Amino acid sequence: MANLSLKHIYKVYPNGAKAVNDFNMQIEDKEFIVFVGPSGCGKSTTLRMIAGLEPITAGELKIGDVVVNGMEPKDRDIAMVFQNYALYPHMSIFENIAFGLRMRKIPDIKRDKEGNPVLDKEGKEIPVMRKYNKQELAEKVNEAAEILGITEYLKRKPKEMSGGQRQRVALGRAIVRQPKVMLLDEPLSNLDAKLRTQMRSEIVKLHKKLQTTFIYVTHDQVEAMTMGTRIVVMKDGFVKQIDTPKNLYKYPANKFVAGFIGTPQMNFFEATLKKTGDKVHIEFKNCDAKITVPYSLLMKTTPQYLDGKKPVYLGFRAEDITLERDKTASCQAKIKVRISHSEELGTETLVYGDVNMNGDGYTDTGTQVIIKAGGFKEIEPDTVVEAGLDIGAIHLFDAETEESILPRIPEYNYLDCKVKSGKLTFSGTEVQLPPAIRCPDGKGEMLIPVSAIRWNGGIKAKVTDCENINGRILVTLDINGGRLYALSDEVKKGDVLIGIDYKKATLDISDERVSPMPEVNGLDGIFTKDKGEGKGELVYSLEINGVKIPTPEDVYLKMFSATSGRKVYNCRFRYEWTPYDFTVSESGIEAEALETLDYGEEKFIKCAVGEEVIYVRADGEYSGKIHIIPDAGKVSVIELERNIRIV
Amino acid sequence: MNKAKAKVVKAKSKKVFNVVITYCILSIVAFIFFFPCLWLILASFSKSGSIYSFDGFFPTEYGFDAFKALFTDTVMYNYKRWFFNTLFIAVMSCILGTLLTILTAYCMSRFRFKSRKAMMKATLLLGMFPSFMGTIAVYLIMTQFNLINQHWGLILIYSAQAPMGYMVQKGFFDTIPYSIDEAARIDGASNFTVFVKFILPLSKPMLVYTALTSFTWPWSDFILPKMLLIDKDLYTVAVGLMSLGETEFARFAAGSIFIAIPIILLYFCLVKYMINGMAAGAVKE
Repeated sequence: MANLSLKHIYKVYPNGAKAVNDFNMQIEDKEFIVFVGPSGCGKSTTLRMIAGLEPITAGELKIGDVVVNGMEPKDRDIAMVFQNYALYPHMSIFENIAFGLRMRKIPDIKRDKEGNPVLDKEGKEIPVMRKYNKQELAEKVNEAAEILGITEYLKRKPKEMSGGQRQRVALGRAIVRQPKVMLLDEPLSNLDAKLRTQMRSEIVKLHKKLQTTFIYVTHDQVEAMTMGTRIVVMKDGFVKQIDTPKNLYKYPANKFVAGFIGTPQMNFFEATLKKTGDKVHIEFKNCDAKITVPYSLLMKTTPQYLDGKKPVYLGFRAEDITLERDKTASCQAKIKVRISHSEELGTETLVYGDVNMNGDGYTDTGTQVIIKAGGFKEIEPDTVVEAGLDIGAIHLFDAETEESILPRIPEYNYLDCKVKSGKLTFSGTEVQLPPAIRCPDGKGEMLIPVSAIRWNGGIKAKVTDCENINGRILVTLDINGGRLYALSDEVKKGDVLIGIDYKKATLDISDERVSPMPEVNGLDGIFTKDKGEGKGELVYSLEINGVKIPTPEDVYLKMFSATSGRKVYNCRFRYEWTPYDFTVSESGIEAEALETLDYGEEKFIKCAVGEEVIYVRADGEYSGKIHIIPDAGKVSVIELERNIRIV
Repeated sequence: MNKAKAKVVKAKSKKVFNVVITYCILSIVAFIFFFPCLWLILASFSKSGSIYSFDGFFPTEYGFDAFKALFTDTVMYNYKRWFFNTLFIAVMSCILGTLLTILTAYCMSRFRFKSRKAMMKATLLLGMFPSFMGTIAVYLIMTQFNLINQHWGLILIYSAQAPMGYMVQKGFFDTIPYSIDEAARIDGASNFTVFVKFILPLSKPMLVYTALTSFTWPWSDFILPKMLLIDKDLYTVAVGLMSLGETEFARFAAGSIFIAIPIILLYFCLVKYMINGMAAGAVKE
């Protein structure tokens, strides 16, 4: 019955090992969130940090509207179910479930022995906290036991029960307190396969009944897919993707998620892409398979990948490859597969093969292919067959970063453009460049982040498509035949006027590059403590180049807790501010104004502080030495040694 | 057919032979262990009292005189007094020592604090030195605190030294799953509640074992009471018996036998917990 907010959560162990890295998530009320990932990915650690069993190194955790970072587990109003049940072995089931209630007090009014309210002098009831009485306890425990079907076992001891029953007791212990958040740490992994399936649906049922927020940790992707409303896929302490089960399956953001979600694993092939006209040729590495797909499918792909050289991973799920002859005939892309063996699973047959005619098909070599075929299929080993690929279900990943290069929301728009005396021409539209962008005349390319398209300005465009992607609307625009993606909060229709935020754009004109203005400016510094004016008063400041900037309480408290006490004065930090958080003033950090950038509506000063170049929002023109003061309340702090964001 | 039968007979006789040998060895060992005990028991029933009047190795006449003298002839040697002194010291040290040992073990098992490892290593190292190495130091400290010739001085020393042997208890606590603590903490229990309501009930065998070990040491210790107790009336049994005259051997034997009785009874009552406890702490599951 509460939402959770996790902001820049880190867990760093004293030996420097980072268990959780920059975990960000908003969990809405009544959601069923599943953390999934291989062992050691940090999913249990995150859960334990939410529970309060593990201190949070840095970041902010809110349950409801309360920051609970330093709070004891019992005060967080959460309940947890453990993998090994963690029942109290010497207590009966009734006592096991009732213990949490016994430890708690409920608000009531003062009563005399007969149960009549005692009034104070003004005739008001006196509020007191009291423990649950016997009758209330029995009522609550019985209610919980009934939901889970363990009423008849209440007098038994945990050791007299089976695994499934024990896990029910553990669930009962959690639900009896009606917590704000239910945390479940691999609750089913100690059960056998059949019981696991059964308990899985019971937990889903319980979630529907209780209408409370569930966070469930598992390493089993089937559990994750079947139970979660949203899934967090983690690996090595990093969040790889957060999305609904369907979207994870259909639009994996990276190769890891693609391979982790779905059985059998997605088939990956190393390949290169080459665009010619409105077709893209995909050439497989390590074998001579080739397929061709229409460019319209890969429109969101960054153009650099389409040069025929940059290695990519091509991914196809086992069910998107077919061996049936009539289906294969209708497929646009076909490859030859040498069958090695097959596994019959009853409803389907997994056919293993290799696109490399010399490959063995048994080992995961990068050319191995697994195909899902229906029913019992007699498939001759060592035969070469033609397999049809469903190119609509194609997945592409960068070979190095393993990120998807076919994202749902592309990062940039790539436009061919021309500049002549401060005027920019692209897609048959001519616009005036702001004075800040100084580039030579010539032809080239422009990179505009999707988020830099504004819905006001003088460029005429036509909306061709609107796509709702996780609450954000991706609008496809048409400017005289040129395509442009933009983000919007609402559905757009018909003709619109758009503008471009030039400070985010990159222009490559005649071998000269105009880089976008960085969104944040970083300055290195330390943290200091000084005596204040009052007696015993202390002033904590961020010190940059000898200039002290007093910090507000919430900032320095976070810095203290993240660096655990005294060490904070020995650490080096990087302080970051957006250009809007600085003011030019009489005193402050000394800077050398290099130039004034005029973007039309806004002006920025590019200035040098020591060796760093930073950008400061300003109204007038400045040159020579200036002083700037950043807003300490808006700082974000990165500890350099461990590279973690503390504030 | 015959061959097979011969084989069976041969195997059988070999088995019998093995059993006989085993029992012989066991009997000899048992005799070696039990003989001094038996001799002491016989000596305690000797009528004459002095070891010099024995007919060879064994007493000539038997009777209950020595036992009677223990409790009646209390002018010179107040055995009854000594016995209750010992009981008081042992019980108090047992209570305090057990409490401290269990708490130490719980802390070491459950909490992670600075210098925890160093402390564990230090106690292990210090435990390797025999305790009487520090007797002189202990004596000096006790004079400083004015605790010479007082039972509480002894009790304090015994209780303070007991936690040095916390390792077995810690090993046992380590086997209690940590998730039980965590579940209890989420349910709203404080560290103390966890300790009292979960750890203690789950470690009954360990408690018994700890209590027994911290009872037997003060019960039978000689060096410390000999050093710290001056008044004859404050003596423990061990020191008191040592002070008996040379001719009082039967009384010495009787006193020794009598003091063993409570411990034997205790062991018999608690033996099933003991075995449980010792085995449970030994290996980490």
